[in-house]
Amino acid sequence: MNGDILIQQPGNSVVTDLGRTRGPRFGLPVNGALDQYSARAANILAGNPDNDPLVEITALDFRMKATEDILIAVTGAPLTLTVGGRPASQWEPVSVRAGETVSIRGIHSGLRAYLAIHGSVEADNLLGSAAPDTVVGFGLQLREGTTLRSRTSVGPVRQPYFDLPLFRLGLERPSMGTDLLVDVTDGPDVAEFGESGDLLFTSEYVVSGRSNHIGLRLGGELPERTSNSEVLSRGVPVGAVEVPSREELLVLHRGRGVTAGYPVLAVVTSTGLDVLAQARPGDKVRFRKTTVAEATAAHRRSRAQLETLRESVNTVFGLLGIGCRPQWQDLPVAACS
Amino acid sequence: MSLSTAAPTEIYESGDSALRVVAISGASEQNWRTVHGLAAWLESCGAEGLHGAVPTYDSVLVEFDPVLVSARQMRAFVKLGLLELSHAGAPANAPREFDVPVVYGGEYGPDLEKVAEYQGIPVDEVVRLHTEKTYTVRCLGAPAGSPMMDGPAFPKPVPRLKDPRLSVPAGAVAVAGRQAVIAPAVAPGGWCVIGQTPLSVLNIRREPLVPYKPGDILRFRQIPAQEFGDFVGLELAPLELPSGLELEPQP
Repeated sequence: MNGDILIQQPGNSVVTDLGRTRGPRFGLPVNGALDQYSARAANILAGNPDNDPLVEITALDFRMKATEDILIAVTGAPLTLTVGGRPASQWEPVSVRAGETVSIRGIHSGLRAYLAIHGSVEADNLLGSAAPDTVVGFGLQLREGTTLRSRTSVGPVRQPYFDLPLFRLGLERPSMGTDLLVDVTDGPDVAEFGESGDLLFTSEYVVSGRSNHIGLRLGGELPERTSNSEVLSRGVPVGAVEVPSREELLVLHRGRGVTAGYPVLAVVTSTGLDVLAQARPGDKVRFRKTTVAEATAAHRRSRAQLETLRESVNTVFGLLGIGCRPQWQDLPVAACS
Repeated sequence: MSLSTAAPTEIYESGDSALRVVAISGASEQNWRTVHGLAAWLESCGAEGLHGAVPTYDSVLVEFDPVLVSARQMRAFVKLGLLELSHAGAPANAPREFDVPVVYGGEYGPDLEKVAEYQGIPVDEVVRLHTEKTYTVRCLGAPAGSPMMDGPAFPKPVPRLKDPRLSVPAGAVAVAGRQAVIAPAVAPGGWCVIGQTPLSVLNIRREPLVPYKPGDILRFRQIPAQEFGDFVGLELAPLELPSGLELEPQP
């Protein structure tokens, strides 16, 4: 039994995963879920491997209908989630019965939501990833009428008490809002900016509406290069902070072109990139300097929380019989002979 | 590519998930061989947590998963690779050769006349200089695995467009600074487009997605506009070489 899902209102949504880590060596950006923490959490809450394809919903309302019993989890920016018209919890596994509609409305205080379906969904692969790449024309942008097929079957999950939430796993949710604090480390070219590089830490920046998955453009006081030497094209890391023009600061995100010729003033940390993934136009951003060692430690702490969550989910799902291999008595007779 | 001596290098932190390794010898050819040799060594090791290496002209960006390996550990690993390179040399890869038919000027190369004017040479001379050279693919760049190459022997570096185009067609043959490139896919671009090849370069149903690798050799050949259609639908592919013929990459 495959759980089919019919997209009724796509908003701005794609099927993605954690990204094309093999892409950059071939000149393709890594892409993938911009808020990696929320995407991982959604898959873990749905009982999936972290890198399974899931739906990334950006800013606009989204609605889909389950044609089989499915189990979902919605994470990311705060929003109003209803299943079959009833309010349901974000950041928890949610049971959806066949025929019910899942509705995501009013994404606020952040920009992106993640919807994982137990058993994941079928998606094409390019260099080992389902993540869309708009430049080479790859990926699944959802449209009205798109059908997603779950890759494995899911038995119905019964709620023992009507309308009571089935799970309370209590994961720490990332804080979101209009004043964002983003950690950065010194970039490899910080010396080229001289003392003006400190402006990055004393000024407040405003997210421009021309921001996307390739990069965020930020208005504010701009550090200036002291040297004018031509820079050879170099591989630039995701998170690179550059000053390409006199109008805006550019922070490259996961859709960035792999090579560029601008000096890198600073690099946003892994946890900082998740914060920027949720930045809305008009939000205020302050940068805080940290070290690579501290940034690594912070990133590992946040991943450790997700590992704890995975253990809880495995325990609960095991008790409820979700995601278990079929028992011998469930197998068709022919398979046993 | 063989490598007798690796260039001296500097390693820079580039956030919690990447390192930038820069080769700093005065010889650009040696720098290029060093960073590409290092990238090949890293890729072949398949070290845990290593996502991959992006080599360009004189630098390589090493990307990794900071949960599995720290920047300090990766730095030690890169140093090991550099040591290995200086002893053993990079694996030798015979370059393959590609023939690229190009229609120059007109709607196919809207910036050809501008480039000729800026260089102070006739249009024909721009085409002659561009087709005369043998190009070594220096690296795969953005967008979509573009072959980045050292440019033709123009008198001056080519300035980038003041207003970058929102859309440059696939197959566009462009120059900027002292560099030359072919666009594998439709993308915005600020380079001067002097021609277009009718061959398709990118194929996302094949791996690798582009047929050339760093170190391979490209030659441009002028074709008349009326022959453009004859090549449409064909893919850029390496020439079959007569056995015994050896090609030397040119800087």
